[in-house]
Amino acid sequence: MHKESAIREPLILGHKTYHDITEDVCRSIEGKAPKAWYVLFGIALLLGLYGVGCILYLLGTGIGTWGLNKTVQWAWDITNFVWWVGIGHAGTLISAVLLLFRQKWRMAINRAAEAMTIFAVFMAGLFPLIHMGRLWVGYWVMPIPNQFGSLWVNFNSPLLWDVFAITTYLSVGFVFWYIGLIPDFATIRDRAKNPVSKKMYSILSFGWSGRAKHWNRFEIVSLVLAGLATPLVFSVHSIVSFDFATSVIPGWHTTIFPPYFVAGAVFSGFAMVQTIMLIVRKGLKLEAYLHVKHIEYMNIVIMVTGSIVGVAYLTELFMSWYSGVEYESYAFINRATGPYWWAYASMMTCNVVSPQLMWFKKLRRSLLFTFFISIVVNIGMWFERFVIIVTSLHQDYLPSSWSMFHPTWTDIGIYIGTIGLFFVFYLAFARYFPILPIAELKTILKSSGESYKNDTAPVRPKTAPVVNTFVPTDEPIEEVVETIESTLDHVEEKATELSDDEKQHKISSLIEKLGVGNADQKDDLKVISGVGPKLEETLNGIGIFTFEQVSKMTKEEYDLLDSITGTFPGRAERDDWAEQAKNLMNK
Amino acid sequence: MGTNRKYWKGLDELNETPEFVASTKNEFAQELSVDQFLAEDKLSESSTGRRDFLKFLGFSVAAATVAACEAPVVKAVPYVVKPEDITPGVANWYASSYYDGETYASILVKTREGRPIHIKGNKNNGFTKGGTNPRIVGSVLSLYDGERLQEPQNNGATSDWATIDAAIIKQLKATVAAGKKVALLSNTVISPSTLEIIREFKANIGGGISDSVNQEGAIEDLSMVSTDNGNIEHIQYDAISYNGMREANLESFGKAVIPDYDFSKAKTIVSVGADFMNSWVLPTQFLGDYVKMRNPEADEMSRHFQFESNMSMTGSNADYRSMIKPSEQGKVLALLLKEVGGASVAGLSTEGLASEVIENIKAAGIALKASKGKSIVVAGSNRKSIQVIVNAINSALNNYEGTINLNTPIELHKSEDAKMAQLVKDMQAGKIGALISWDTNPVYSYGDTEGFKAGIAKVGLSVSMAKYADETASLFQYICPDSHALETWNDFNPKLGHYSLAQPTIRPLHNTRPAAESLMIWAGLASHVGKNSTNYHDYIQGTWQKWGFTMQTEYLDFYSYWSAMVHNSCGTDMFATPTAVPFAGNLAAAGKAESAITTGEWEIAFYQKAGIASGIHANNPWLQELPDPISKVTWDNYVTMSPEDMKAQGFAMELGQVEEQNVVSVKVGDRSIDLPVYPQPGQAAKTIGIAFGYGRGEGGEAIGKSAYQQEGIYGQASKTMIGANAFKLAVGGVTEAFEASIADTGNKYILACTQTHATVMARNSIMKETTFDIYKKEESAAYNHRHTLHTGWNHDEKLTEEFDLWEEHPVEVVGHRWAMTIDLNLCVGCGSCVVACGSENNVPVVGKDEVKRGREMHWLRIDRYYASEIEATVGTRNPEEFEAEGFGGLQNPGSNPKVAYMPMLCHHCNHAPCETVCPVAATTHSNEGLNQMTYNRCIGTRYCANNCPYKVRRFNWFNYPSYRKFTEVNPAQDDLGRMVLNPDVVVRTRGVMEKCSFCVQKIQTGKLVAKKAERPVVDGDVSTACSDVCPSNAITFGDWNDNESLIRKSTEEKRAYQALEEIGIKPNIWYKVKVRNEENEELAAIQTAHGSHGGDEHGEEDHATLDTGSHVDETETNNGH
Repeated sequence: MHKESAIREPLILGHKTYHDITEDVCRSIEGKAPKAWYVLFGIALLLGLYGVGCILYLLGTGIGTWGLNKTVQWAWDITNFVWWVGIGHAGTLISAVLLLFRQKWRMAINRAAEAMTIFAVFMAGLFPLIHMGRLWVGYWVMPIPNQFGSLWVNFNSPLLWDVFAITTYLSVGFVFWYIGLIPDFATIRDRAKNPVSKKMYSILSFGWSGRAKHWNRFEIVSLVLAGLATPLVFSVHSIVSFDFATSVIPGWHTTIFPPYFVAGAVFSGFAMVQTIMLIVRKGLKLEAYLHVKHIEYMNIVIMVTGSIVGVAYLTELFMSWYSGVEYESYAFINRATGPYWWAYASMMTCNVVSPQLMWFKKLRRSLLFTFFISIVVNIGMWFERFVIIVTSLHQDYLPSSWSMFHPTWTDIGIYIGTIGLFFVFYLAFARYFPILPIAELKTILKSSGESYKNDTAPVRPKTAPVVNTFVPTDEPIEEVVETIESTLDHVEEKATELSDDEKQHKISSLIEKLGVGNADQKDDLKVISGVGPKLEETLNGIGIFTFEQVSKMTKEEYDLLDSITGTFPGRAERDDWAEQAKNLMNK
Repeated sequence: MGTNRKYWKGLDELNETPEFVASTKNEFAQELSVDQFLAEDKLSESSTGRRDFLKFLGFSVAAATVAACEAPVVKAVPYVVKPEDITPGVANWYASSYYDGETYASILVKTREGRPIHIKGNKNNGFTKGGTNPRIVGSVLSLYDGERLQEPQNNGATSDWATIDAAIIKQLKATVAAGKKVALLSNTVISPSTLEIIREFKANIGGGISDSVNQEGAIEDLSMVSTDNGNIEHIQYDAISYNGMREANLESFGKAVIPDYDFSKAKTIVSVGADFMNSWVLPTQFLGDYVKMRNPEADEMSRHFQFESNMSMTGSNADYRSMIKPSEQGKVLALLLKEVGGASVAGLSTEGLASEVIENIKAAGIALKASKGKSIVVAGSNRKSIQVIVNAINSALNNYEGTINLNTPIELHKSEDAKMAQLVKDMQAGKIGALISWDTNPVYSYGDTEGFKAGIAKVGLSVSMAKYADETASLFQYICPDSHALETWNDFNPKLGHYSLAQPTIRPLHNTRPAAESLMIWAGLASHVGKNSTNYHDYIQGTWQKWGFTMQTEYLDFYSYWSAMVHNSCGTDMFATPTAVPFAGNLAAAGKAESAITTGEWEIAFYQKAGIASGIHANNPWLQELPDPISKVTWDNYVTMSPEDMKAQGFAMELGQVEEQNVVSVKVGDRSIDLPVYPQPGQAAKTIGIAFGYGRGEGGEAIGKSAYQQEGIYGQASKTMIGANAFKLAVGGVTEAFEASIADTGNKYILACTQTHATVMARNSIMKETTFDIYKKEESAAYNHRHTLHTGWNHDEKLTEEFDLWEEHPVEVVGHRWAMTIDLNLCVGCGSCVVACGSENNVPVVGKDEVKRGREMHWLRIDRYYASEIEATVGTRNPEEFEAEGFGGLQNPGSNPKVAYMPMLCHHCNHAPCETVCPVAATTHSNEGLNQMTYNRCIGTRYCANNCPYKVRRFNWFNYPSYRKFTEVNPAQDDLGRMVLNPDVVVRTRGVMEKCSFCVQKIQTGKLVAKKAERPVVDGDVSTACSDVCPSNAITFGDWNDNESLIRKSTEEKRAYQALEEIGIKPNIWYKVKVRNEENEELAAIQTAHGSHGGDEHGEEDHATLDTGSHVDETETNNGH
C-alpha cells in the first residue's frame, strides 16, 4: 500500500472510516435538501429562465439585439464563450493531469470540478451556437455528407478547429466524469430505499457489481481516458486562442496566445473550483475531506498560473514595443490608455496583482480570503477576454472604422442567464450526484486519512474501562485527538493483549458507529425486550452502555454485533432493539 | 425464318369465344359505370365506414393545406405579347436629362422589364459629360415613393381630372374676368416648351376653350395670339437664390445672367465660400472640369485657394484653405482685388484679417496674376456687393475672355427675390385672385412662412401642381399632381446654346399628369387624355420642329433629327465664345454695403449637404442615410462649430453611440431654431454652419416616410422632424447671417455618425499624400514607399508581395483578374458612388437608430481623414513632433486641417483573411480574383468581418426587408418601393454577411456581351456601379490580366499603391497617391529625406515595422517553401 510521509498534512481529517465516507457523501442525496438549497436553486432557475428568454428573443429577432456593430462583430458572445471554456478547464486538468501525476489531493475536488467543467462547457458551447446569424443552418460546420454537391467545411478555419476541439473536449470530459461516477452510483443504488431512485441509480450505474473484474476495467479505462484527456487540456484552449492568433488583427495576431490562454484557463478554472467548493464544503459539511490543505494547493496553482498570465501580459507589451509595428504598438497603448482603459486596469489588477498575494501563507490558507480572490480572478479573466476581443477590434487598422461597443440588455441577460443555468445544473448535481468520489476517496483513507496516519484510527480498546477513560466532550476534534494521543500507549498495551485482531477491529468499528458510551451513566439495557442480564454484560463488554448507542443500530450494526458475539444471530434485528431503545430514551 | 407462334392476351382470345369476337369489334371498351359501381352489393361490405372516409378526407385536406403553407405564392406573370424592346433579364438604357429645379445633368436611366432602377451620368452626351451627384443618382427611388400623390385632390379629398379641370378653368376665367391677378409660382423653368406653354397660358387664359377643339389645331391657332394679359404673372422662386449674382452681373456688365465658368482651363482658382463641387450653380459641370486640371501627370496642375467659414466639400479639396468669417468676405475680396492690381474698394477697410488669411490672399494674388485669363475667382454669397467685387477681380484678370463666359449664360437659378416678396404682399393684400404653384415649396423654404401662409388664405383659387401634399401644397384647394420626371417627356435649356430632352422610362404609375400638360389643358391647348396622353410630347416635338430642327443642318428630315435627339438626349452644343465686357460695377457702393455690415457674437454660413441640398429630396432614404462628405453624419442637420469654440462654450465634443451633443438654440432676429452642435475642425472661429434642407414636414405632412425620424429601438416610425429648418433663419434668400446668438437649451441629442474618429493616425500605408513639386522632382520612393522584408541567410530585401504563406490563387496568369484603382487625387468625396452602389446592389437602408449603432450597410463608403497638428499632411507624421507627443498627438485633427478622402470597399484580396477563417467556406476566391460571398452558405459567425483589415464587410443584423423598424424608414422595402430593386442582385436575408462584389452581375453581363460578339473582353465592357457613376473619374476598373487595359497601366503608375500592403493580403485594389499643389516644406523635408536616404528617422520607423515585426515569421515561412 502507498505510504505517505507523516509530515505531510493528512487529506482526510478526523476518524473517518470507509463507511463514514459513504455516509458523508450520500447524506445530501438521501436526506432532505436544506432550505438554502431551494432558495439558491430558485434564484439560479429564475436567472436561467431570464437568460433563456433573452436567447429566444435573440433568435427570434436577430443578432442586432446585441450591441455589436460593423467594427466590433464579436464582443460579449465570444468573451463569454472563452470565459466559460476557460472555467471548464480545471476539471480535466484535475482529473487527468493530476491523476497522471498521482496528486492524491485532487480526489477531494475532482468530481465537483469535472461536473463544473461539463456544465461550463455546456454554457460555453451555447455562445458559438447562438452567436451565429443563422443558427438553423449551424450544422453546416460539421463535416457531414450532404446533398449540396461538393460542399464541405473549410479546414483552414480556426473556428472549425474550435468545433472539433470543443466537442471532443466535451465528450471525453463527459465520459471521464461519468465513468468515475459509476461505482458511486452503484453505492447509492445499493443504499437506496425508494424504489424509484433505486431504479434510476441502477440505470445510471450500468449494472456495476463491484467485482474485481469491474474494478480492473474501471482502473484501465480511467487511466486510458486520463491519457486521452491530458492533451485535450492543452489543445482546447490553444485552439480557442487560434481563433485570435491566426487572424491579422493587431492585438489578436500574437504567437504567445496558446500557452497564455491555457495558463489563463487553468487560472480561472481553479478559481471557479474554489468558489464552488467553498460553498459546497460548507453546505454539505465536507470539511473533513476538503480542508485548508486542499485550498492551499489550489491557491498555489492559481498563484503559479496567475504569474504565467502576468508574464504573458508583460511579454505582449514588450513585443508590441519591440516589434516596432505601429498597429501593434497602438493596439496595446490603446488597451492601456484608450477608452477601454478601465477594462485593462481591471484585468491587470484582478489577474496580475491578486494572485501574487498568495505568496503569503496566511492569506492562501484563509478560506474567506480565498473565496474573495477566487471571484476576483474570474472577474479579471472575464475582462481579459473582453480586452482581447473588444479592444483589439474596436480600433484596428483603419481609423475611419473605429468604434465602441455598448452592451444591450440582451447581451447582459444572456450572460447572467448562463450563470443561472450553470448553477441550476450544479445545484441539481450537488443534490443528486455524489459530489465526492466515494470509491476513490476510500483508496486514500488509509494512507492520507488523518487518524490512520498517526495511527489513531478508530482502533477501539477491547474492554470498557479503557474506553471509559475517554471523557465525552464537546471539545473540538483537535483536542479529542490530543486526548486520544495521550492515552495512546495505554491503548496499545491493551491492544496487544487481544487475541483476536479481527474481532477487536469489528468492535471498534461498531463503537465508531454507535459512539463511545459512558459506563457511569449506563442505562438498564435489560429493559429492552430480548436483552437479558448475560447479553447486557456482553454488550457492556463491547462498550455499549446506553440506549442512545443502541438506538443508532441498523442492519449493518446488528450483523456486526452478531459476528462479534457469535450468539443470537438475527435476534437483535427481529426484536428491533433500535426502535425500542429510541422509545425508551424518550421516556 | 417464319414463325407460327401466336401471342394471346387471355383464354378468351386463345379460344376465340363469341363474346370475345364481339368485343373486338367495339373499339372502346365500356367503362364500369358509376351507377353500376354504386349498385354493387359488396360496396356496403367495405370495411371503410362513412366516418372513416370523412376522417381520411379531412386529413387529406388538412395535409394538403399544411403542405401549401410551406412556401409563399410568388406571382410571376409572363408577357402574353412580349414588348419589342424588352428582353427579360436584359437591361435597357435610356438617355435622358435630369432637372429638379436646382441641378441639371445629362443622364442614363437603366430599366429592367420596364422599370427604371438606376441612374448614372451620361458620359457621351451633353456638357455635363457624366457629371452627377448623389441627388441625381438617388432620385430614381422617389419614383416609387408610396406617399407621392396618386390622384388629383380637391381640398384633401380624392377627385378626378375632369371635375378639377372644369372647376379650375371656370374659376380662372372668373378671376380674370373680375380683373384680379393670377399668379403662376414655380421654381426656375428651363424647359423651352413649358415656357412657351406658360406664354400661351398667359395669353389665352382669358379666352374661351371648347372641348371639341382639335389639339393640333389648338396649338396652331392659339399660338398666334400673343397678347399678354398683364394680370397673369409667372414668378420664378427658388429655395436657393442667386438673385444677388444676377443683379451684380447686370450692374457690372449689363446682363442679369449667371455666366458659364470653365474650370477645365483655370490654372488658379480662388473661391470665397463657393462650394462649386457640391452645390454652387452647376456642380455637375464644374466638378468634371475642375478635375481635368488636377492630373499630376500633366505639366501643370491647377492651384486652388479657398476662403470660407464652414469646412465645405470644395474647401476640403483645396490646396490652400483659409478660415474667414462670412462678414470678412468683402475684405478678403477687396484685398485680393488690390493684390491683382485692380482698383481699391473705397470705404472698405481690409484691416482685421488674420495674418494666415492675408498670407494666402497674397499667395493667391501672385498665382492669379501669373495666370491671367486662365483663372477663376468665385464667391458663394448671394450678396450683390460681394459679387460685384468678384466681377471686378475677374475683370482685372481678363477672365471674361477666357474662363468665364458671359455670352453663354447658365439658365438655372432665376429666382426673382423682389417679385416673390411682392407676390407675398399682394397675396396678403388680397390682390391675388388665383395662385398656381408648381414644384416649389415656399411654405418650407421662404423665410417669411407665416406671411406666405396668411397670403394663401386670402387667395381665391389656389392650385398646386406638386408631387406631394407637402407643406405648401397641403394648404391649397386643388392639387393636380405632377408626374415624376421619369414618367414624362420634357425638354431643357440649361445653358444658352444647349437644348436637351428628357424621355419617360415608365408609364405613369399613378393617375398623375405632367404640370405642363395641366397648364396646356387649362389654357385650352389640349384636353385631358389620361395615362396615355401624348399632349406634352407632341407639344415638345412641335417646339423642337419649329426651333431646334430649323437651327441645325446635320439632319435633313425632322424624324431622323428627333430620333437622334431622343437617342442622345440632346443636340449639338452651340455655345458662344467668351468676349471681354468692360466692367461697370459700382465698387464704392459695394464697399459701402460691405462695411455697413454689423456683426453679432456669432455669424452663420448656411450651406447645402451633398445628399439633401435644399430639401427637395428629404424623403429619399438613400440620401438621408448618405453620410455628409465632411461630417459623416446621417439623417440630421446640426450646427457646425469649431472645437475651440465648443470647448470655450463647454459643449460635448465626443461623437458616438451614446455620446450626446448639446442642443443649442440659434437665434437670428426674432427667429430661432434648435439644433445639436457638431465639432467641425476647420470651422472659422465664432462662426457656425447650418445646412438647409432639413426640418421638412413640420406639420406632419405626407411627404414620404423617410422624411421623418424613426424612433425607439424596435418601434414604429413616428412623425418626428429630421433636423430643423434653417430657412427660417435665412429670410430673403441670404446665404449668411451676421448677427446670430446661441444659447444652450440644456437638451441633449445623439447624432448618427458613420465615422467617429477624425484622423488617420499618420498611418502611412493607408493614406499617402505628396505635393506636386515633390511628385515631379523625386523618385517614387519619396512619396510611395514600398514595404520590403528580409529573407534568407543573406537578408535579401524583397517586396512583401513576393511572400506567400499559402499557395497563391492562380489569378495572375489565367483568365481575368478584376482589379480597381482609385485615384485619391481625383476623389472629392461627393458620395455619388455610395448611392449608386446602394442602388445597383440593393443595399438596405437601416435608419438613424441603426447608423448610430454603427450598423450602416453601405458596401462602399468614403473615409474622410483630417490631418492632425503633428502630421505634415494626412498620413505623414512629423517624426520630431511625434516623438514629443506620441499617439495622443495624432488623435485630434488640427484647427484648419488638410482633408483627404478614401473610398473604401472590399479589396478582393488574393490572400483574403476573410476567406481562411470562414468555417463553412461561404466566402471564397474566384478564379477571376473576386472574393465571393455565397449568401446561401453563410451561417453568420461574423469571423470574416472581424478579420477584415479594411472593415468593409456588413452583417444583416435583422431581416431588413420585412422588419417594421426598417420598412417604416425605407420605401425600397415596401411593396411599391421594391420595384426599384435590381433583379440581378439578391436581397440578403437576416444573419448573413454581405459586401462589395465588384458588381459581379455587371462583370458577367460584360463578359456575355464580349462572348456574343466573339471577342475578348476589352476595356469598357465591364464596369462597376461606382466606377460608372464617379463624376471625377477617380475609379478605374477592368481586367488586370489584359496587358493593354487601362487598369493594368493604372496599377503600374508611380503613384499606385495598395493600402496595408505589408499585411501580405494582396488586394485587387490600388490607390493612387494624392497630390496637392501646395508648398509644404515640412512634408518635403520628410519625403525627400526618406526618398534619397531611406534610413533617416522617419524611414527607420517604417523599416523597423518590417525588419523586426514580421521579419522573423516571414523569413521562416519563406525558407519553408
